[in-house]
Amino acid sequence: MSGFWRLMLFGKGPREAASPGRDLRIDVIRGLILLVIFVNHMPGNIVSSAMPHNYGFSDAADVFVLLAGISAAFAYGRLIDQRGLLVGSLKVGARIWTLYIAHLALFVLVCGIVATAVVRTQNALYVEAINIQPFFSDTPAAIVNALGLVYQPYYLDILPLYIVLLAAFPLIYVTARTSPLAALAISVAIWQGATLGGLNLPNHPGDGGWFFNPFAWQMLFTFGVVIGRLGLVGAGVPKLRVLDIAAVMVLLFAAAVKLSSGNPFGVALLNDWIDSLQIGTDKTNLAWPRVVHLAAMAWLVLRFLRSDAGILSGLAGRRLAALGRHSLEVFCAGIVLAITGQIILAETSFVLWVQLLMNLSGITILLGLGTFLSWYKTLTARAASAPRDQAATA
Amino acid sequence: MLSASKRVLAETNRLTIVALGSSSTAGTGASDPDRSYPAVLEAELRRRLPGREIKVTNLGVGGQSAYEMYLRLESEIIPEKPSLVIWQTAVNDAIRDIGEEKLAKILRKGAHKLQEAGIDLVLMDMPWLQREGRYPKYDDYRAVLAKTASDSGVPVFPRYAMMKSWSGSKQFSEEEIVGMDGLQVVEAGYRCFGIRLADGIVSELTGGREPGKPTN
Repeated sequence: MSGFWRLMLFGKGPREAASPGRDLRIDVIRGLILLVIFVNHMPGNIVSSAMPHNYGFSDAADVFVLLAGISAAFAYGRLIDQRGLLVGSLKVGARIWTLYIAHLALFVLVCGIVATAVVRTQNALYVEAINIQPFFSDTPAAIVNALGLVYQPYYLDILPLYIVLLAAFPLIYVTARTSPLAALAISVAIWQGATLGGLNLPNHPGDGGWFFNPFAWQMLFTFGVVIGRLGLVGAGVPKLRVLDIAAVMVLLFAAAVKLSSGNPFGVALLNDWIDSLQIGTDKTNLAWPRVVHLAAMAWLVLRFLRSDAGILSGLAGRRLAALGRHSLEVFCAGIVLAITGQIILAETSFVLWVQLLMNLSGITILLGLGTFLSWYKTLTARAASAPRDQAATA
Repeated sequence: MLSASKRVLAETNRLTIVALGSSSTAGTGASDPDRSYPAVLEAELRRRLPGREIKVTNLGVGGQSAYEMYLRLESEIIPEKPSLVIWQTAVNDAIRDIGEEKLAKILRKGAHKLQEAGIDLVLMDMPWLQREGRYPKYDDYRAVLAKTASDSGVPVFPRYAMMKSWSGSKQFSEEEIVGMDGLQVVEAGYRCFGIRLADGIVSELTGGREPGKPTN
């Protein structure tokens, strides 16, 4: 295990093409998560009832944010180490700008798709389904609020979270570099303080807050940054059998609770608690069962999925990795496809074959996009290096 | 029904209501926030119960699921100390198909929580849709709402039946009922809901001896 982390330490920079230094696990898991997010964004479809959130407390979003922290540490943390805080922060700023533009483009696209659908079908529920009503009832205010990230329709709430988290990254990273434990402690304190004190960024219109409260969700991001930081310095994962067993127990417990309708343990004292776990966990403020569940999964992956495992470099692994390496593009495409899919599913009354077709074609398009972008990247990289080669030989 | 509201009104001369729900509570689709159903309800109650201190707080948030609203009971609704909560929900859960059993559990726990806090509850039925076939389980979710309400002894405001009857009559145009730019009955519908709710609440509180004359 520590071999992997050492590899990470001496691996090449955040290059797109797979190199020995790149941790395939991040790319493959992120690719998988992007597909899960796509499927889950077409609620009521049969495939989504088989997705991981039916078996556990945490879901794709939690994994996504944790991975964002880990890969930010690898990409920008390493840069901060090598080139200093200023250069690293500037690079983070450039990434934030890209994310912001992507978010706005996605916002306009989604509004356009929903507007078209509502005009054509007369079903105003499409507006309700993604809470895009404010855009149509008070467009000027909605546009200003969208630009300020304080109006977030459903599905358009995770990129703003990512933007805010990335903006905090240099500070988080520098703290984690000084003391990972301190970084975690501060982060947990902010998470709990915000939950208890009701601290959140605003979401207009109304008095609501962000669906992903950044003061809460920074905890998973920081957790990821710390994991990434430990990886950068080559720390190994300790062999702790007790933790392995505890992690497995957490996952089994979660699955048992989520899959049964009543209390699977028959202990009356637990009835109320089990009940409250079955109806959901607070996603906005990141309820602690989500964190425990995610931590258990992360531990087991770090312990038992080696970065050179065959499953990662097989055919499926390679396709997923191509997806995961272009997560912004694939995420945005997935949102557009899922919202279009939602509308098609309702218009066809959720006929089974259409459901399956929507899932299959969406996943195919996303996998194709990942593969295309990887190919395009190597193409442009080659084109960029060609003139230099010519100059050298001339 | 409405025993807490009756008692509080008798003791303090106050009637405080919270309207919890998604966009048809928030009043989206109406030209002005004053034309949401909670605003109409407040005006109607004030007119019908003169000399009483009436307050209707609109805590509707567009697109929210039953669970999101359930979480707000503890943090936002109960601290308002209302004597009555009108909870409009389940439509977003039906179109997202969250699971009937799960919805039942959320509603039951929500009703229980309010009961423990000594607050009356009225559940509002889901809206009538022009083409319900888009959501094959829509009626199943409506049934869940009805059954949970009756199990918990909670009255249901029959929005669905009202909208359906409008659709068969010529009282409203389809545009007014469903509204191109909102799933909700826009203004005209909101107005009717507000008035009908006021009818029901006042007759319950005064035992049918309603002071003042109803408008329609």
